[in-house]
Amino acid sequence: MILLQPHSRFLLQTLLNRVQNLEKAIELDYLWVEFDDVRYHIQVSTKNPNVLLLSVSLPIPPPETVFLGGLPFGAIEAIKAAYGVIVQILDPPRDGFNLTLKLNLSKLPPDEGLRHSLLVKIASVREVVLGAPLRIVLKHLASRTVAPDIGQLLALVHRPNESFFVVPQAEKVTIIYPMRFKDSVDTAFATSFLQEFVEARRTAGLNNVPPCLWSLTPPIELKEVPADALSANAGFVSFVIYPRHVEGKKLDRAVWNLSTFHAYVNYHVKCSEGFMHTRMRRRVESLIQALGRAKPDAEEKKKSPNSRSFKRLSLKEAKANSKS
Amino acid sequence: MASTLRLYLTCIRNTLEAAMCLQNFPCQEVERHNKPEVELKTSPELLLNPILICRNEAEKCLIETSINSLRISLKVKQADELENILAKKFLRFLSMRAEAFQVLRRKPIQGYDISFLITNYHCEEMQKQKLIDFIVQFMEDIDKEISELKMSVNTRGRLVATEFLKQFI
Repeated sequence: MILLQPHSRFLLQTLLNRVQNLEKAIELDYLWVEFDDVRYHIQVSTKNPNVLLLSVSLPIPPPETVFLGGLPFGAIEAIKAAYGVIVQILDPPRDGFNLTLKLNLSKLPPDEGLRHSLLVKIASVREVVLGAPLRIVLKHLASRTVAPDIGQLLALVHRPNESFFVVPQAEKVTIIYPMRFKDSVDTAFATSFLQEFVEARRTAGLNNVPPCLWSLTPPIELKEVPADALSANAGFVSFVIYPRHVEGKKLDRAVWNLSTFHAYVNYHVKCSEGFMHTRMRRRVESLIQALGRAKPDAEEKKKSPNSRSFKRLSLKEAKANSKS
Repeated sequence: MASTLRLYLTCIRNTLEAAMCLQNFPCQEVERHNKPEVELKTSPELLLNPILICRNEAEKCLIETSINSLRISLKVKQADELENILAKKFLRFLSMRAEAFQVLRRKPIQGYDISFLITNYHCEEMQKQKLIDFIVQFMEDIDKEISELKMSVNTRGRLVATEFLKQFI
């Protein structure tokens, strides 16, 4: 899996499982956390087996981000547009969560394919909610307009207390990520990864992808942002998105990939570290073997592995011995 | 292997062959103690001149000898931050497993990345030639491993970037 999947795998499995055994009334109460501190809670009671309560909590937004009633703007409309009748938004949401959805599983379409795609869509609730503002901006970009009531610069939350910035214009949208990492090793790895993003564009076949820039200092677009939102130890990455990058079906992919860019880089940094450890472990073993070769008695032992100090008797022999 | 590396390693090998003539020598100050003199440095008459072999400024090898022990300290080349981190991680990984290596010192001496301490007991237990082979192979392996690790990080970075950007085509 190189790219992150928009749907939460566990949520999708739970939903599929529930839909397949709809006639069985069971009690479900699951709570789990996903990357970037997105929490899910699922509840089903035996009284109403058709109704499933799904609560989502989003990462804590930093002060510069606009949040309306605990949700990014445009999220409610996005949910309604994506799910239609089968989902009802409960107000107020469950304690400690930003959003609670009431799913009516009996209203699912009977067609197998449609139903599955709708369930996948429900499992990607995170993409719908967190990506809602970005989707609005990019949708307007596709039609070469600027969305009304959106400022010059937009801060969108993507990690707890961290946001990335969007500069919407009619012809292009610039997206800027301040990249922060806790660990110094992570930072070094990420820095080399980010440089590859800049370089990769030069390879054949990637000439039409969004231009990517990486710098250690904040780009001029961010000069109005307060300084504490701009402390990034791995530099700033900016992508310039043109209308051709968000045409038609590409919009969905673009929204998801852009809103999880940090998680994507972080995921691969961790993977590389894991790979590195595996390699080192193997190398240590081979070095220990090399040292073992220096010991003369090690070789002698190998020559006679079967020398035992006792002789094992079979059952017959033992009986014969005891009789005689 | 680059010819300069081969010369460097040959020089170290020859020096080690000459230096590794260790004998049992009980401590002069404390009765019934037997300690590696190169670590304690209590009596100057038991120490020999240390030898420093340099390939360049970043890569060097210090060989200190005494009557019953020998200390080899290595400094591994670290061209950039990534190599520095990889080298540090790898050597820390090795130092933590020093028990398994016997001749490895848990902590490198100051200014170096990794140290070996070979005592006369090690020489009695193991064949001298093969012990030298091990040290030389170790040095070769470290260089190779670090450059391979760096390559793999870069390759992965390129792949990750390409896959991400392909989503916009």
